Amino acid sequence: MEIDYIENEVSLSQPPAVQRRRIRPVDDAHPFDLDAYISGYSGRTAFDRLVHIISTCPTLAPQALKLAFAQIEELRDPTLYQTVMNAYDAVADLPEVQLPPTSELCSVNTAWCEEVTKKNQAERTKLEVELKTYSNNMIKESIRMGHRDLGDFYRATGDYIQALKHYTKSREFCSTSQHVLDMCLSVLELVIEQRNYAHISSYVFKAEGALDTASAAATSNTTAGSNSAAQPPKKSAERDQVQSKLDFAMALFHLGQANYEKAAQLFLKIGPPDSLGDWIGKLVAPGDFAVYGTLCALASMSRSAIKSQLTGNAIFSAYIEQEPYVRDLIQSYLSSDFKNVLELLERYSTRHYVDIHMYLHIYDLTNLIRNVAVVLYFQPFQTIRLDRMSTAFGWTVDEVEKEVVALIQSGRIQGRVDSQNKILKARKADHRAELFARAIKTAAEIQSANRKLLLRMRLQQADLVVKPPKRREQDRAVEPLQGD
Amino acid sequence: MNQSGLPTPPPSTPTPNPAQSSSSAPSQSSSDVSLASIVATITSAASSPSHLNQYLRNCASKDVREVLLASILPGSQDPLTLLTARDHTLGMLYILSARLHSVASDKPLWHHIESFCRDFIPEHARVAPDRVTLLATGIRQLADVEGNPKLAIAPLSDLLVKYPPTLSHLTTIHPIFVTACVATRHFKSAIPVLTHPITTIDLSLSDLTYQDNLIYHYAGGIAFAALKDWPAAEELFEICASSPGSVASAIQMEALKKLALVQLIYRGKTSPPSKYMHPVLLRLFKATPYSSFMNAYPLQRDYLRTIVENEQQLFTNERTLGLITQALNRAPRWAIKKLTTTYLTLHLSDIGRQVGISDETEVKSLILSMIECSEISAELFADGTVSFSDPPVKFEKSDVDRVLAQAQQQDALLVRLEKEMERNKEYLTKAVKSKDDASWPAMDEDGAFGERPPGTWAEDMTFA
Repeated sequence: MEIDYIENEVSLSQPPAVQRRRIRPVDDAHPFDLDAYISGYSGRTAFDRLVHIISTCPTLAPQALKLAFAQIEELRDPTLYQTVMNAYDAVADLPEVQLPPTSELCSVNTAWCEEVTKKNQAERTKLEVELKTYSNNMIKESIRMGHRDLGDFYRATGDYIQALKHYTKSREFCSTSQHVLDMCLSVLELVIEQRNYAHISSYVFKAEGALDTASAAATSNTTAGSNSAAQPPKKSAERDQVQSKLDFAMALFHLGQANYEKAAQLFLKIGPPDSLGDWIGKLVAPGDFAVYGTLCALASMSRSAIKSQLTGNAIFSAYIEQEPYVRDLIQSYLSSDFKNVLELLERYSTRHYVDIHMYLHIYDLTNLIRNVAVVLYFQPFQTIRLDRMSTAFGWTVDEVEKEVVALIQSGRIQGRVDSQNKILKARKADHRAELFARAIKTAAEIQSANRKLLLRMRLQQADLVVKPPKRREQDRAVEPLQGD
Repeated sequence: MNQSGLPTPPPSTPTPNPAQSSSSAPSQSSSDVSLASIVATITSAASSPSHLNQYLRNCASKDVREVLLASILPGSQDPLTLLTARDHTLGMLYILSARLHSVASDKPLWHHIESFCRDFIPEHARVAPDRVTLLATGIRQLADVEGNPKLAIAPLSDLLVKYPPTLSHLTTIHPIFVTACVATRHFKSAIPVLTHPITTIDLSLSDLTYQDNLIYHYAGGIAFAALKDWPAAEELFEICASSPGSVASAIQMEALKKLALVQLIYRGKTSPPSKYMHPVLLRLFKATPYSSFMNAYPLQRDYLRTIVENEQQLFTNERTLGLITQALNRAPRWAIKKLTTTYLTLHLSDIGRQVGISDETEVKSLILSMIECSEISAELFADGTVSFSDPPVKFEKSDVDRVLAQAQQQDALLVRLEKEMERNKEYLTKAVKSKDDASWPAMDEDGAFGERPPGTWAEDMTFA
């Protein structure tokens, strides 16, 4: 079954602003190096990313198409030709885009297609026969492996639904928690590849459960043995490896749910690159962590938390090395050079929009970071002229005012705008008066609540409760107005 | 028609023969005798109110009794003229209530009703709560029949003020009185009663149904809303809408709609619904145009207007058009009020743009009227600039003292109620049972069973 990415993307509910900005320019102001970017990925995700780039950056589309064609032959799914050409044609059809037709760029390797289709057919028959034999023999372990192999096979050929079905089926035949863990990781790989974020959490929880029992079993084994002191570190290294994968999966889940703070915390928790094993490249590149983690953190965490968790985090610093501009971004943020922060965000927006996990959230994240920046900037001031703010952020005064007003109305800035003189003033709170007002208000509220509750209690004691009309017991919605 | 079987004074078992029960009017003399005897018993005043009540209740089968009580003495003498409210409360109560509800008989004269309601002895009347209810409904019906519903208000008000021990007791007269006030638009007359919140329900005082509670609070809310006493209206509607029940009543639905509108008028937004509200109510409410009106309030004025226009028929039918219009008219005020928290100064034209009024003079007059009502504190300059300032906050020591005193009062009340509750038999049975199950060990430490000597619990049941 073919997964049509174009339709997928359109069907995702995007805010109109994202829709509008789906076409991203690649030029001097928005640099993006396709070759360097795609070399960080392999396999299916490289292909998926190329397809996404084709639909996002028309300027890169021909180059990406060629790369995608090259990539397809390393995979086992001939239907991908159709997917990528559909994506390309959809972009080429846009009025403002001029692209050469696909036939001029590269051609479909039909011989390869036929060969692969034949091979796939043969392998599927083989695997299905094997599974049937195992099932007849009722050998649990073999059945599990049969399901797993079929799952792997379907995943490779792009039939995600069948793959998921076989992976989950294999769970019934798991005999150890290690098997359950393997199954969960396979499913996680699958759903991350599919970008089905909502499914991630349940498999992460299952995997964590399995991980706990597995490590508990391991420790009990080792304590039974004599050299218990030497064993645990080894085990925990293995555990860390799985844990990093789970953290990454969970972080993606939170990102998918737009829960940026939780996502940031988990991204910052991820272990060193080698702990993710083959997921690096197969699913994600180390540089992505730097981008995901930093943007989520800047958008959601407090300044001190960013300072301690981001810059003081040795492992994460290693990831940041992969994307030098991220370091600049954090530095500018910490030194309150918000103009630079916003410029950097704009400059690398293309880089962000071509990311298949990130692009849905970039618009919101940028807004959040902008809001945080305005709030932080205003914090030390009692009053400030809006034109000073406008130079600090590189906006016009009207933009600043609009931004500030929105933040005041959402309660993020405690201040008021002098719209005539274009001054923002912090609100002077009379804490004493506020306290009195609140105390008196609360007293009145509690009294009235008490009264209502007492009446309610009395009514219930006297059984004066609304009863269903006698004849129409089944119709419990609303009884006709009576007695009036 | 042998009337000798009919009981005369000391009450005996009513043994109405079939012939008698069918005799509604034919024999004038038969009723005379019995009514005369009843009047005699009443005037003899030998027995206590409860005995008399017993007698009046059982002196004949139901139909006959009502007919008898509603009839008049021979020589077309009205039995009521022989009785006075002060001395013969119970007797008059029976006769009045019977006569008010019988179809054939002459209606009692208004001055009898009025003097009774003014002078009756509440302790005696409480013996027969059902007759009091009959009297109240009768008064209202009579006023309706006479085409002058206003007549009912004064006697009902007297009756209501006198009958219960305090006005915080809910009685069946409450809903009748308040609906009469609301129906005749005499909202002010209801205020003295409505200002006493209901806190006590005593079924032995009045044969209440759950509808009495709902209708009283609903009608009370309407009265307050009509007088623009929004906080009071809000409270009464909320009580009605969140009254307990396994199902939701249509009265509660109406109360919820009006509650939302009152809150919009009074606060500019609705507060989160009480957690005691029946979930079905909230679900049904979401499907009404009120809900969309509420969500768009106060900023999207054009949308609000289209809602009102499209649903005019519905609002008129549900008699909420008045509140809706008031809410709609106040929408720009709330929008301006919101602006004061965001801006220090704004030009009139900016305000107009923000709240959707294009005419600057209209904005100006609106701002002026808001300043006059001290809804906002602001200054208007000649060049059209409005500068907002924080409303001055003033607290007197006496305010604080008053609040503290109220809190102490409340505390004392709650302590008393808790003690009463702890004496309650049902509660004790339950608590002791749970204690035996050892699932609530904390009860003891709370001092729930402190000091009280065991063994007196069951007898100590003063809580009604």
